[in-house]
Amino acid sequence: MIPVVAMRLLAAAGLAAMLGWGCASDIPRDTTRLTVGMRFEYPTPNELIVQPTLGHKAITSQLLLPLMGEETDFREGPPSWKPALAETWEFSEDRLVLTVRLRPDAVWSDGEPVTADDVRFTWQAQTDPDVAWMLSYAKETITDVEAVDERTVRFHFSRASPTQLADVAPEAVLPRHAWGQRPFADWRSDPGWFFEHLVASGPFVLENRTPGRELVLGRNPDYFEADLPRVERVVLRTAADGAMLTTQLLAGELDVVTGISATDAERIEGRPDLRLHAYSNRQYTFVSWNTGRSWFTDAATRRALAMAIDRHAIVDTVWRGYARVGSSPILSDVWAHAPDLEAWPHDPEAARVALGEAGWSDSDGDGILERDGAPFRFELATFAGAAARWNALQMIQADLRAVGIDAQPRRFDPSALLPRMLGNDFDAVVSGLAIDTSLDLHPTFHSESIGGGHNYAAYANPEVDALIASFANRLDPLDGLEDLHRLQRILHDDQPMLVLWEALTLAAFNEELESVAPNALSPLANLEEWAWR
Amino acid sequence: MIHFLLRRLLAAAVLFLIVLTLAFAVVALAPGDPMAPSDPRIPPEQAERLRALYGLDQPLPAQYLRWLGAVVLRWDWGQSYRTGQPVAELLFDALPPTLLLAGAALLAQYLLGIGLGLLAAFRPNSRLDLSVRVASLLVYALPTFWVGLMAILILAVGLGLAPAGGMTSAAAFELGPVAAALDVLAHLWLPALVLGLSMAGDIARYTRNSLIEFQATEAGRAARARGLSETRILLVHGLAHAAPRLLQLASVSAPLLLSGAVIAEVVFAWPGLGTATLLAIQSGDTPVVLAATAYGAVLVIAASLAADLLLTRLDPRIRVE
Repeated sequence: MIPVVAMRLLAAAGLAAMLGWGCASDIPRDTTRLTVGMRFEYPTPNELIVQPTLGHKAITSQLLLPLMGEETDFREGPPSWKPALAETWEFSEDRLVLTVRLRPDAVWSDGEPVTADDVRFTWQAQTDPDVAWMLSYAKETITDVEAVDERTVRFHFSRASPTQLADVAPEAVLPRHAWGQRPFADWRSDPGWFFEHLVASGPFVLENRTPGRELVLGRNPDYFEADLPRVERVVLRTAADGAMLTTQLLAGELDVVTGISATDAERIEGRPDLRLHAYSNRQYTFVSWNTGRSWFTDAATRRALAMAIDRHAIVDTVWRGYARVGSSPILSDVWAHAPDLEAWPHDPEAARVALGEAGWSDSDGDGILERDGAPFRFELATFAGAAARWNALQMIQADLRAVGIDAQPRRFDPSALLPRMLGNDFDAVVSGLAIDTSLDLHPTFHSESIGGGHNYAAYANPEVDALIASFANRLDPLDGLEDLHRLQRILHDDQPMLVLWEALTLAAFNEELESVAPNALSPLANLEEWAWR
Repeated sequence: MIHFLLRRLLAAAVLFLIVLTLAFAVVALAPGDPMAPSDPRIPPEQAERLRALYGLDQPLPAQYLRWLGAVVLRWDWGQSYRTGQPVAELLFDALPPTLLLAGAALLAQYLLGIGLGLLAAFRPNSRLDLSVRVASLLVYALPTFWVGLMAILILAVGLGLAPAGGMTSAAAFELGPVAAALDVLAHLWLPALVLGLSMAGDIARYTRNSLIEFQATEAGRAARARGLSETRILLVHGLAHAAPRLLQLASVSAPLLLSGAVIAEVVFAWPGLGTATLLAIQSGDTPVVLAATAYGAVLVIAASLAADLLLTRLDPRIRVE
């Protein structure tokens, strides 16, 4: 008898839940709240003890403000900065001291003022070996951070450089009075501790957290911009699979989704209630030819490879137009991009001629070219998990086969392939990089970065080395514009790496929302201004 | 009985140790370096520092002994390379949703399977029986992820009968206990049904065959001779006859349900062990992968043990040696 009653109760509850859900869609929208879907993991608000990701940074910057925020005017000129916790800043004449004045109205969410001591504490944490912050190299030239008075802080540098502001500005300022209680040596042992002791300086405070599911950000009543944020609450929802977030958007369960794939974009394009927003993410995908391997030693062969691959077809097919064919590692929408650079055209006939001139011929008639008796057959490696990239590799394989080259695509786990790339132990590899606003090409093209660095192609050109060094020494990046243009032209001709495409990131949101403008720096850029019409 | 239980527990412990060792060996011997910096700006010294922090600079046997000691003595699975969280804490958060989903799927599987089996057994070799048998084979053959995607598109996005994914609605922490439970139920029924569906076919076929077989036994004939109704014969006596075999099926389906849960969790954005494992595999987060493998092994061993014990209670013909 009891099981029967239990079954009936269960069935009734299930039916109630189902019907309840069906009716829930008729409830009017709560315009004080936004629900955003994005892929993120947020084990701690302390960005110094996790792997740096765009998603983590985007969320943290809603809670903990930096001194300054980077502007998104990449097209117009070198990085520029807008005030956040800093009100003003000024360099000394020799540029070895930077004096920063903090906003007088900036307070933590527990009412304590944000002080110069917090800024100094942050620098101490960033450079402490026990904290082992991944990006601590950015602080190498800062010799001291001095708290002059409660609102004035002085950064002392060992040398002047064009990246001084970028080295100081973008990281969250940490609350000394709250987090200073815990010794640096213990920071990595319990990331969750920082949730329990979180005080916010940004537009939002953390209202609730369900690990692996959602974060709820609520309006910070102590935020210095009195009219912001425009909504009371933002719910951030996550899922392991990006396609599921798109489905939830289509079902009306989410208001905004960032990081939508080109394939999923098709499901959104026809929806009148949703808007799709494509933006540059300053990332590019490339194929790196290992110049230490016999097939890729000469630039003529590498140029022929560039002409053999139909990159427009890849962009149109794999990316459904949501990408651009690339021509330089300094991307086409960045201020220093060489304007006269034309992407190598897809011209299989010209590629065949160029390969012939470089000494390649099909001497045994098997359809594969040879040079000095060695067939043009190599492994084309990439990371497992990126479906679009794998599809592109199939297309590259077919394009190269059409000119007599046998490229054999293979996928590897990142932890297996990356060490091989760093050790220049591969034939050719397709991978991706994001460009840094400093436009420092030393890690990727300088000969000092071969073997252990990210010069995967093992490319060495003294003129390139000299141009990279020359640009790095200019205090005003604009003075180095000619260096960068010359550098791009050499790389374009030498082709140690072929830039395949510059990807665009897609976000979709409810048509009734305004001011939603995710950008390359943050999928949650200006979140405090997002609102329902 | 106590001896039997102790023997089984000892065997389970040995099996668990073997699983741990094999999992560690497979992960450790795979080529690669989880600390290799993907960001060109990060200097190699930083990677070295992190390797030392996680003990990866030690020889492999020392790493193994340290890891095994921490697991066995303190249930300490180390820290996630990806998030820095203690792995035990991370999986502790992920385990209840998986158990809830797998449990609900088991319930759905038995309710559906037994129901359909009964229907078929009432009219053996009729059109209804044939339909049940064909449907059973069909749902068994269809991959869970495809059924899941179709269910989401039709029932959730199309008809709005269920949420498209997740375990709760946005900001569900504000709901009262009853509303929160109903909210979880609203999110649970579809993935549980999809996950349960694949094995429901098997249950239906076993139920049908057992009931038909029972009707031909002396006990079945005696029940009919006593004038009991067909419904009572099948529902009371027939199901009692089928119960041990159906229970045996539970021990078989537990591992299948758990592995199926990994797929269902990803398709339905269910925040359980499967989702955590997938994220860990994608990012080379070895400590989480190892721990998730071990948790899976523990669940399967425990389910199998529980089914065996129940079986000995239900079927007096089975004697514990």
